[in-house]
Amino acid sequence: MKIAVVDADPIVRDFVVGTLMYSVNREVLPFKDGLDAWIYFEDYGVPDIIVADVNLEELTGTELLGKVKGLNQGTIVILYSDLPEKEAMVREAGADAFLAKPFGVNELFTLVQRFVVEGQSSN
Amino acid sequence: MIRLGAEPSKMREIELDDVFLSRLQLLIVMAKAYLSGYPLGRHRIKSILENANHIKLEAVGLEEDLEWFKDDASFSDNLGFDNAFYQRVKLLSVMAEAIAKGHVLESHKKEALEKNLNAVCESITFNKQVSDMQFLKVA
Repeated sequence: MKIAVVDADPIVRDFVVGTLMYSVNREVLPFKDGLDAWIYFEDYGVPDIIVADVNLEELTGTELLGKVKGLNQGTIVILYSDLPEKEAMVREAGADAFLAKPFGVNELFTLVQRFVVEGQSSN
Repeated sequence: MIRLGAEPSKMREIELDDVFLSRLQLLIVMAKAYLSGYPLGRHRIKSILENANHIKLEAVGLEEDLEWFKDDASFSDNLGFDNAFYQRVKLLSVMAEAIAKGHVLESHKKEALEKNLNAVCESITFNKQVSDMQFLKVA
């Protein structure tokens, strides 16, 4: 199980990475923008789960979602934003989940339960 | 698509205080999971150490802020600072660090940890039960 977190804000990114790393006891890959993440995915393969901010430089969260789903439809993509108007765009782009900021540990634990624990048991 | 987090009318950026509170809640879950006997793994240990360190640094900063404002009662009252709370938070971060470093806590220390956890939880009204998080059983 490979998980990646993409966020330009190191404070939020480190918090999300730390919470997910603790929950699943696996390494979680951090990226500061969508393009960096995409270059890495092209070289080393797309992770099973990607958690990303919608508002990213170079390659936005929804653009990254389109590229990732184009390569591997099975990858779970979870996008978050502080702007309500982004929710419909994220839904239309085909995200598996939308996290409305501000969110905390409970929401991240729910995602792990839904996509890691229940995801594994349904496979 | 599932939706989680703030209601549309309450959506906003995540502030430093939000991250501090979320990290503190995570530290509480980490300590409760230890007391409940959930397994630790390499990445969990790394995550506990990073989180404990972050909370310790933030708590020290907040304590220094409190020291600065201690002679101005009206100011400190308005800020809602509580010295005992930050001391408890700092103690919790030290205890979590000890757990992650593999120190075995004897029963009286576990009892102290539990009392400290309860006091911190009460202050921030956080009542997450680790039994709700089945994924913690697998390291």
